[in-house]
Amino acid sequence: MSAVEITKLSAAERHKLVSVPIDGQGLKTLLEAGMVWLKTNQQIVNSLNVFPVPDGDTGTNMVLTMQAAFEEVEHAGIANVGQFAHAIARGALMGARGNSGVILSQIWRGFARALDDQEFMDVNLLAEALDEARETAYKGVVRPVEGTILTVIKDISAQAEVSVQRTSSFTEVLSDVVEAAEASVERTPELLPILKQAGVVDSGGKGLLCIFEGMWRFINGDPIDKPITDVVPLSDMDLEDTMETIEPGQDYEVVIDFSPGASFNLEEYYEELTKIGTSIQVGEGDGMYRMHIHVPLDNRYKPIEHTMTLGTIQKIMMENLVAQMDERKNNKKPKIKLAQVQPDDIAVVAVSPGSGLSRIFASLGVAAIVQGGQTMNPSIKELLASFENLPTDKIVILPNNKNIIMAAKEAASMTVKQVAVIPTISAPQGFSAMFRLIPDGDFEENVTAMTTAINEVETGEITIATRTVKIEDVQVEKGQVIALHNGHLVASTQSIDEACEQLLIAADTNGYERITLFYGEDIKQAQVNQLADKIRSVYPDHEIEVHEGGQPHYQLIISIE
Amino acid sequence: MSESENKHNELGSILIQKDAIASIARQSTLQSYGVVGLAPKNIIENIRQIIKKDIKYGVSVDYDHDGLIIDLYIVVEYGTRIKSITNSIVNSVKYNVEKTIGLPVRRINVHVRGLRISNMD
Repeated sequence: MSAVEITKLSAAERHKLVSVPIDGQGLKTLLEAGMVWLKTNQQIVNSLNVFPVPDGDTGTNMVLTMQAAFEEVEHAGIANVGQFAHAIARGALMGARGNSGVILSQIWRGFARALDDQEFMDVNLLAEALDEARETAYKGVVRPVEGTILTVIKDISAQAEVSVQRTSSFTEVLSDVVEAAEASVERTPELLPILKQAGVVDSGGKGLLCIFEGMWRFINGDPIDKPITDVVPLSDMDLEDTMETIEPGQDYEVVIDFSPGASFNLEEYYEELTKIGTSIQVGEGDGMYRMHIHVPLDNRYKPIEHTMTLGTIQKIMMENLVAQMDERKNNKKPKIKLAQVQPDDIAVVAVSPGSGLSRIFASLGVAAIVQGGQTMNPSIKELLASFENLPTDKIVILPNNKNIIMAAKEAASMTVKQVAVIPTISAPQGFSAMFRLIPDGDFEENVTAMTTAINEVETGEITIATRTVKIEDVQVEKGQVIALHNGHLVASTQSIDEACEQLLIAADTNGYERITLFYGEDIKQAQVNQLADKIRSVYPDHEIEVHEGGQPHYQLIISIE
Repeated sequence: MSESENKHNELGSILIQKDAIASIARQSTLQSYGVVGLAPKNIIENIRQIIKKDIKYGVSVDYDHDGLIIDLYIVVEYGTRIKSITNSIVNSVKYNVEKTIGLPVRRINVHVRGLRISNMD
């Protein structure tokens, strides 16, 4: 029997397959049901990952482990439940992938050991097997971490032991077990702080829950090949994107944060929402839900009224999409278009602190841009990733900040590509270097020319002092405007205009012909234009330009060339 | 005493001893699933461990220009898939060391020194 077929069986047929007490073939059907339901929920489990490690896709790892276990027994006609469980354990062991997969294989191993050579499994034996599964799983690690799949199997086995005192019905025990597993998974963030920070439950625990839930849903006659809803963790909800997909008539966006009441049923809730509007997303995390929906004007209060009956609303956000879309269209910024690198050409990677500066870098022929600047230095990994996939081996990096030069050099030493770091400490130096780039020219010559070019430009920076300090004989009070010339403090004043004036005096503009102001995100364009007019009147022989830099913290970056 | 040098800022350098890195690697290894203990690197360490608790026991740390090189000597639970376990160890040790220390980890060598048999199936 293949995975596709069992999903189509009617409730009566399902009951026939899993007759109590469970024999080998019955266990096989349960195993398959657990696997199919886990696979259905694979992406949900994957999305719960907290650690950014390469083998971290818990859902995928557990599915592959379960598949290996199933393949081992798929064609085995073993009737003896004990022998059958041993075969499952063997398959799981051989196919165990990742941490969660290994633990899962240990769970099966313990499970099989308890069943030993029994012909049938009744509820008492099931409880024993689950207890042995827990025992074996815990034996595999010196310092068990709670709030993981280990905690969930512990809670499952504890519940099974309690349940068999009450009932001898296999279905009832399984139902109790699933309920306990669900509660256990919900509790994992309380036990493991990193989960709480990320606003998710443990992925391995959730995977194990899916396996038991699948078995139970199968017996209960519920579908196991369709997810209940496409619930994502809160951190994964991308509400920005939904803006792009507005359908006619869906004028309002409503987002509601709420904690569900005791009788909350996600499936029913979801169904009710589909009657009200479109673009429905429900996010779950930390005992709280966030619902997102697009609704027509007349329906705009309906999601709120409906949600109110089901739980406690914490926050409501409502926006008029039509008005918002118009606004968006009006100040839509052109997308940054990076240079296409030809194989064997020189590709330049620039670190840029702001969107406006990025756009200028792109227009000058930069092939890749890494976001970063004064307070948010890009990691070596980010730098590496920016050029590893470019179709050329000749790379030039413009760090554009003195704090990033080291990281850039380190990135350069970690790749097989030929990488040169031009020690630019500001965006204007980066621009100046870009003017010298001849992409299909000799690498060494380019590097020399670009390095020379950085000294042909003077850089000024205007920012607000974050603390009181005395540097280079200049007393700076917190909140004052300070001017830096090539990284050295030259003035500390009350206004940006004054700082600019003193900066240009310090920079000695004789011998230069152009002054360019790149304004940051903390200053208005109108103010910069006024300032530019002032500078024009003081320096009539210079060409004054104003560009949007978009950089944080620095009101102005000034290039004098 | 051997030291490993981290990046410096304008106020000075940050020096991190190998012992510190070893204890993070050790902690992370022992929390990895499938590892039931660490094993001595050699006979000398074996004897030393009897006399005094050594935080470097089963772990050795070295470094070069490209980053840290960590060797782990472990005992694994019998009946687990060693390939998967060692992969997980490498990932989590690398993640934890890089996250806490901030130095790149270049290599992690896992030496499986033994199996613990708690149950024969």
